[in-house]
Amino acid sequence: MNNTRALAGRISESAPPRSHLHRQRMIWAYIFVSIPIIGLLVFSLIPILFSGWVSLHEWNMLSPVGEMPWVGLENYIYLLTQDNVFRQALVNTFVFVIGGVASNVVLGLGLALLLNSKLRGQSLWRVLYFLPVVTAPLALGVIFAFIFNRNYGLINSILVGIGIPRQPFLSSPYQALFVIILMAIYQYVGYYIVIFVAGLQGIPQDYYDAASVDGANAWQRFWRITLPLLKPVMLFVVVTNTIGGLQVFDLVFSSTAGGPVNSTQTIVLHMYNTAFKFSRMGRASAMAFILFGIILVITIIQLRVLRDRTERS
Amino acid sequence: MLFRKALLLFGLCLILALGVSLVSAQEPVTLRILTHWGEESFLAGQDALYGSCEAQTGVNVELEAVAFNDLLTKIIANQTAGTNSDIIHAYNLWLPDFARSGLLSTPPQDIIDTISANTSEGVVQGVTSVGQIWGWPTEVNTYLLIYNKRLLEEAGYTEPPTNWDELKEMSAAISQTDDTGAVTQIGYGIITGWDSGVVHPWATLLQSNGGQYLNADETATAYNSPEGLETLQLYADLVESGGTDMSMAAQAEFTNGRVGMMIMANWWRSGLQNAPGVDYETEVGVAPVPVGPSGDETSTMSYNWLWSVTSTSPNQEKAWEFIQCINTPAAEGEGSPMGEYLVNVLGAIPSMTYDQEAFAEDLGDHFLAPFVESVAYALPEPVVAGGQEVKTRLQAEIEAVLQGMQDVASALEFASMEGDAVLQEFAQ
Repeated sequence: MNNTRALAGRISESAPPRSHLHRQRMIWAYIFVSIPIIGLLVFSLIPILFSGWVSLHEWNMLSPVGEMPWVGLENYIYLLTQDNVFRQALVNTFVFVIGGVASNVVLGLGLALLLNSKLRGQSLWRVLYFLPVVTAPLALGVIFAFIFNRNYGLINSILVGIGIPRQPFLSSPYQALFVIILMAIYQYVGYYIVIFVAGLQGIPQDYYDAASVDGANAWQRFWRITLPLLKPVMLFVVVTNTIGGLQVFDLVFSSTAGGPVNSTQTIVLHMYNTAFKFSRMGRASAMAFILFGIILVITIIQLRVLRDRTERS
Repeated sequence: MLFRKALLLFGLCLILALGVSLVSAQEPVTLRILTHWGEESFLAGQDALYGSCEAQTGVNVELEAVAFNDLLTKIIANQTAGTNSDIIHAYNLWLPDFARSGLLSTPPQDIIDTISANTSEGVVQGVTSVGQIWGWPTEVNTYLLIYNKRLLEEAGYTEPPTNWDELKEMSAAISQTDDTGAVTQIGYGIITGWDSGVVHPWATLLQSNGGQYLNADETATAYNSPEGLETLQLYADLVESGGTDMSMAAQAEFTNGRVGMMIMANWWRSGLQNAPGVDYETEVGVAPVPVGPSGDETSTMSYNWLWSVTSTSPNQEKAWEFIQCINTPAAEGEGSPMGEYLVNVLGAIPSMTYDQEAFAEDLGDHFLAPFVESVAYALPEPVVAGGQEVKTRLQAEIEAVLQGMQDVASALEFASMEGDAVLQEFAQ
């Protein structure tokens, strides 16, 4: 016992005091943590706060920041009550999101189920479906514009071949948005297939075996096992797809630039034009904050609804 | 001893400092230039253009070229980031914003005098905002009727239309559709999806019908008038008669030889020279804009580009000196390096009358000659704050009529109401 005390005493004499070591460790911890926090502050939080400040002013980005005239909530009021293009962009964006999310979930899950079955050349199919994900939206826009051309496009040649009259597609204000949705599905469904396949492979085979022993058919196995256990994946797909859809820009910018007659105008494209074409940075910032509010509300609702169900299941 | 060493050290430092300052005094000033002449062939020509004046004015040019669509964004981003170029090549419609924000420095008086004395009134107006000339005008663009002689002849016409009835008749006659319903050829092409491409040709028709784009003091729109209604009705009639079709990308299809006529600017010349489906020399014709039922004579709209110096440039004096150098002829009767570049590389019309005279032979080309003539009677696009926004709102309404989504009267009334609101807002 005495020996132990003596040893402990020697250790405490030779080693730095515990509180000093603790303090040193804490300093290093703070240093390491501060790096991403500073990054977050400089590159995210401060610009967001600045954008909020700008949204209460009139600013063309050319005048000094200190000289921005204060307009209060005028930009928000204008957007919500007078800006017809913003209203149309809101409607278009929601149509795009609803169409895109529903299609990506249904198609993504359906194709994932196919790819997860004992299909020949699974890897090849996965690569094929994933290829559009890595295709530049600009290239995609040009290709789709060509394919859907009214006068010499492939789709119209097929339609005429089966006796359906030619359709204007991208040159029609009534059809262009649906072609854009199709483009988005084509580009992103491969990504969601990969996510769904990963989710499907995480479901233990035992469940299916047990269900089969109990006499469950394929539909019952899908409805009672696959779908409930895929809900966390579904939550991820729906939330990320919705957020991405609400922020759609590149596909529209490269294919129709919002036309014809604003029929494919989206919130972010209108924001871009307002900022960089009309030099109205205050109004564009207000749009960004309205979009942020919309995304926040929708995401909270989705998380509440889908997470509750996920937890219950 | 110590004192002598210190004195020696001081002497050495002095010599070194003197040497450094002498070397730096001889080092040329670097001028950063931002343009939208970014295509490969245009860039090559610029080396020669700037090179001739670099040595003369003791500057080094650092060129940055972006596409036209990115130029305003680039200027704004540079200004915000504090990385402005010394010299920018600007579209004159941006001037009110630039001037209001103090982005540009004012040219020296001798440059203002040279510009005023050697350009047309329209050009001076084009580079003026709030009563001040803001830069050296470079290319001037006007709009005229460009037509495909072969398609007109195939439809039985040897001359281009001079009035709207002829325009409508010829357009319908040229248009063709195949058995499957595909439009293979249209008589009159209307650009869509691009504000200037939509509004400028429409405004030239409006002016050729005796109408005006904005009122005299440029505080309100003037296109919602009987003349404006007739002009927009012309478009509606062309759609209805099949003389035009929105599924045809007019500009691209003209170069493919599938569009009979369209109103376009002279900057398109190099595109037509390389067109795959139409022969520039033998098939491309240019004529004045057809006159409308309420008009007395043809008219057109012009716009300008100009070299300006940013107010944040530390080398403003050198920058103006350099701009003056590239725009000044070496001798009486000769053209300036800028004029030579505009005419021979860009195929554009120089704003300076001495360049127009010196390069008269090159500008006498069957395509450019009518455009050069039109500079004299062209009405400049109004340089007003909010002008871009007014144009975009009118574009949307013109396209709504073309798509059959809006009737002519409602479209013009709405565009006018929105345009007036923008102009009034900026006027305050």
